Amino acid sequence: MIKNYIKTAYRSLRKNRGFTTINIMGLALGLATCLLIVLYVADELSYDRYNDKASRIYRVNEDLKLGDNAVKYAVCMAPLAKTLIAEYPFVENATRLKNAGTSHVKKGTLNISENRVAFADPSLFSVFTLPMINGNAASALVEPNSVVITETTAQKYFNSTNVVGKTLLFNDNTLCKVTGVIKDVPRQSHFNFDFFISMSSFPDSRSTEWLRSDYNTYVLLKDKSYAKQLEASFPALLEKFSGAQMKAQLNLSYAEFEKQGSFFRLNLIPLTDIHLKSNISGELSANGTTQYVYIFLLIAVFILLIACINFMNLSTARSANRAREVGVRKVLGSARKHLIAQFLTESVLVTIISTVLAFVIALFLLPLFNQLSGKELAINASSMVWIVPALVAIALFVGVLSGSYPAFYLSAFQPVDVLKGKLATGFKGSRLRSFFVVFQFSISIFLIIGTLVIYNQLNYIQSKNLGYNRSQVLVVKNVFELNGQAKLFKQKVKELPGVINATMTGFLPTSGWKNTAIYFRDASINEKTSLFPQSWQIDEDYIGTLGMKMAAGRNFSKDMATDSDGVMINEAAAKFLGFKDPVNSVIYKATDSKHDLAHTKQYRVLGVVKDFNFNSLHENVSPVVMTLAENNGALSIRLNTNNLSQLMSQINAVWKDVNPNVQINYSFMDQDFDATYRTEQRTGQIFIIFTALAIIIACLGLFGLAAYAAEQRTKEIGIRKVLGASVAAIAGMLSKDFVKLVGISILIASPLAWYAMNKWLQDFAYRINIQWWVLALAGIAALLIAVVTVSFQSIKAAVANPVDSLKNE
Amino acid sequence: MIKITNLEKFYRTEEVETIALNKLSIEIATGEFVAIMGPSGCGKSTLLNILGMLDDPDEGSYIFNEIEVAHFTERKRADLRKHNIGFVFQSFNLIDELTVFENVELPLIYTGVPASERVKRVEEVLDKMQIMHRRNHYPQQLSGGQQQRVAIARAVVNKPKLILADEPTGNLDSTNGNDVMELLTDLNEQGTTIIMVTHSEHDARYSHRIIRLLDGQAVVENIMV
Ligand SMILES: Nc1ncnc2c1ncn2[C@@H]1O[C@H](COP(=O)(O)OP(=O)(O)OP(=O)(O)O)[C@@H](O)[C@H]1O
Ligand SMILES: [Mg+2]
Repeated sequence: MIKNYIKTAYRSLRKNRGFTTINIMGLALGLATCLLIVLYVADELSYDRYNDKASRIYRVNEDLKLGDNAVKYAVCMAPLAKTLIAEYPFVENATRLKNAGTSHVKKGTLNISENRVAFADPSLFSVFTLPMINGNAASALVEPNSVVITETTAQKYFNSTNVVGKTLLFNDNTLCKVTGVIKDVPRQSHFNFDFFISMSSFPDSRSTEWLRSDYNTYVLLKDKSYAKQLEASFPALLEKFSGAQMKAQLNLSYAEFEKQGSFFRLNLIPLTDIHLKSNISGELSANGTTQYVYIFLLIAVFILLIACINFMNLSTARSANRAREVGVRKVLGSARKHLIAQFLTESVLVTIISTVLAFVIALFLLPLFNQLSGKELAINASSMVWIVPALVAIALFVGVLSGSYPAFYLSAFQPVDVLKGKLATGFKGSRLRSFFVVFQFSISIFLIIGTLVIYNQLNYIQSKNLGYNRSQVLVVKNVFELNGQAKLFKQKVKELPGVINATMTGFLPTSGWKNTAIYFRDASINEKTSLFPQSWQIDEDYIGTLGMKMAAGRNFSKDMATDSDGVMINEAAAKFLGFKDPVNSVIYKATDSKHDLAHTKQYRVLGVVKDFNFNSLHENVSPVVMTLAENNGALSIRLNTNNLSQLMSQINAVWKDVNPNVQINYSFMDQDFDATYRTEQRTGQIFIIFTALAIIIACLGLFGLAAYAAEQRTKEIGIRKVLGASVAAIAGMLSKDFVKLVGISILIASPLAWYAMNKWLQDFAYRINIQWWVLALAGIAALLIAVVTVSFQSIKAAVANPVDSLKNE
Repeated sequence: MIKITNLEKFYRTEEVETIALNKLSIEIATGEFVAIMGPSGCGKSTLLNILGMLDDPDEGSYIFNEIEVAHFTERKRADLRKHNIGFVFQSFNLIDELTVFENVELPLIYTGVPASERVKRVEEVLDKMQIMHRRNHYPQQLSGGQQQRVAIARAVVNKPKLILADEPTGNLDSTNGNDVMELLTDLNEQGTTIIMVTHSEHDARYSHRIIRLLDGQAVVENIMV
């Protein structure tokens, strides 16, 4: 019997090749898109889950509030990990990581710049699942100057993984012994280091200070149910251990400190939440956001819905044409259940073909998608384990759902009515189908508006005046390695033709360098009104090189000896301080954590710099206080040249001249800027692709429906033509219904999209207003797309010879 | 009014070529009532479609009102057609979704008659066909005879000079069939030229002249007295 069903289904599908193709393609495209999104989301959700003990691992975060300034840190105090193990029997283990920043590792005569270097406690391997290929995991990180490296790194430096006992020279001064080689840290990890140097090599790690936080600290609990208990006990723990130090340094008891409205608190974040839910100071890598995961999931659901609706729409539409067949079959004695089985077989067959096709399409699109999303997604054995059942489930679900409507509806009809053609009429004005079309187009319009808004916002960020000029600035990032000769390098570079100016400091609007300080606005040294600004050390060329503008006062000058007692502040700081005329007023910088006049240094405000953006544009400009001091974090060079490559090689030569042993490491400031917005940029691109796909799928459906509608009305079209209707009039008549539906969709989708996108924009401190033309454009685009799609069918129907269509009667 | 000379029409399908009209020459004067008869498949409908400018001949000439229309473009034919020709079909060909009134109104819309004028003219013709009381009904709610009245009303509402009827009584019983023939005769007496295809000798007797076709050629012409 089933074989017979399949055979009949196959013939019927073949007979309606056009419909079948549209149906299969639409569904396959939709499923393929969903598959890609699901892979992406699954990847985002899988972060840190490679750890066997993931569910019992937590990171300790710190909330700090000093006066009006609140900061959240992903790092904690040095002694915390040790203390946790000692104090709580339910803490199985604890371990610390400390980002070592960029280091230089010698390979032959060359120093290679490595920025995935960390200091780690020996317990690292007992907490995290980082399998060791070579070496002893328990003891590898015990001795000072031991280093555990990843497989890839071992290959890179030694062309072998069997390298335990060999040595690596760091920064030309520290020789470390390789004590272990581990498998590469999985990509889905919130930290991604290639070198783990034993924590004991880093003296500060033995610090007993409780008022300073520098270490990413992770605890492994015996059972995750203890997490609440641990968190609840943190205040008492802090009071116990930091109380004495606070009294000594701030002359405050912990209670008094809290009474001022200040606090520092510890809390736990589950390891598996870090990647998507945490984005605070001291993270070990740029994390993702749940928001985008949700958005993408939503889009996947939308696209799947659109594709399924198409499928059902087309299937039911087509089945109306088969009412006569059903009637004849019934008259000939076919039982209802056979008819139902026949229709279901047919639609399940189509969905299965679509699913297989979807899988193939997804495989082909994956490399492109990876390029856009910056991921390395793969369909492999492990993902197949859930992809295949999921696809089969979807195929069956969609197949049965879309097949059941015509199956049950048609088979229930009295054969006489069906033969008389009553059914065909009833099907024409199907409200359900109109509803579906409106639904699809509402989603499409929503997505178009969303895309336009995202695109505009990103454009706005790109072109916004940031208060400094980031184009044509070359940033040499490792001048600190030249040590005392950094200044010589700057001087020589400045002499090159094509170099306009150069400034030496690591504190750049586009760099991650951050340093905070505490300033008081007057001699009363009141903590409540203290300023907690970025504290940057710059030179007198800074303002000029970066093209910043002065709002008041003057820039630092080389010729003024007293300028080292002066500061320049930005407008945000000036506003915060609230001086009527900030220039020449005096502010007090705290020199240590004892907050009284004796422990401050006075600075005179020399100038106010116009605000410039150094955080991401998600945030407002915060206060910055700049002092004139040497900082060789980086050298930023303003260029003006037509021959960039020549200038670059000249700069290179100067560098080699100053220090031939270190490789120069540079980038362009505008590229660094773009990197800050890569997530948004990528999201934007992916969004555009998905929107396009959603629209294509929706159009495929519309195309099919229009064809169906035209087919249904062949006779009417013939009559009208005989009576003198022009092609335009016929095409217009056929398109009108669809245009009306798209019109309704515009009315529904526009306000929703406007609302949702405004919500998204709230996340940006600097944002566009959604212009009315964005909504209009989306509406017009949707209308145009619909009209083009439908008129193709309508015109085809309208130019057909009426003689043919009337003859069948 | 109509003069066709050596008209030819072929139908090519994958295997065979059918000659539907074979060097057919006919002349029909204004005000005539002509019946076309012949066995099934002899080309009657094909001829009517060409006369009605719904279809193109492959060879030969077709002069309508002194104009050669044989190779007119679709647009020009449609324009000529909607102002000059009314159609009546065996299967009525009313539009199911439109009421009686709206069905009859259609040709006026396509010739651009203003709305107020349309109402007047539709009511006038519905009155004449005695189906005014059914104006707001849908075709399915009418009997076959009533449907054909509506179809005739639609054919004449634009006051065409020529009415082409393809077996107008084919789906009707004899009483209703006779009614329809009376209507056509009335129209003819008021000056409309009528060309009608029929299988019924009885119906053919209403006409002035019978053209008998065989295999796409006119074999006999009977003049009625
Ligand atoms: N579209 C077409 N394609 C192929 N052959 C056609 C087509 N239309 C008509 N024919 C053929 O042309 C010939 C004439 O057809 P036509 O419809 O004019 O006959 P008829 O005289 O009206 O017949 P009936 O009395 O049955 O209506 C027939 O042999 C028919 O098979
Ligand atoms: Mg015929």
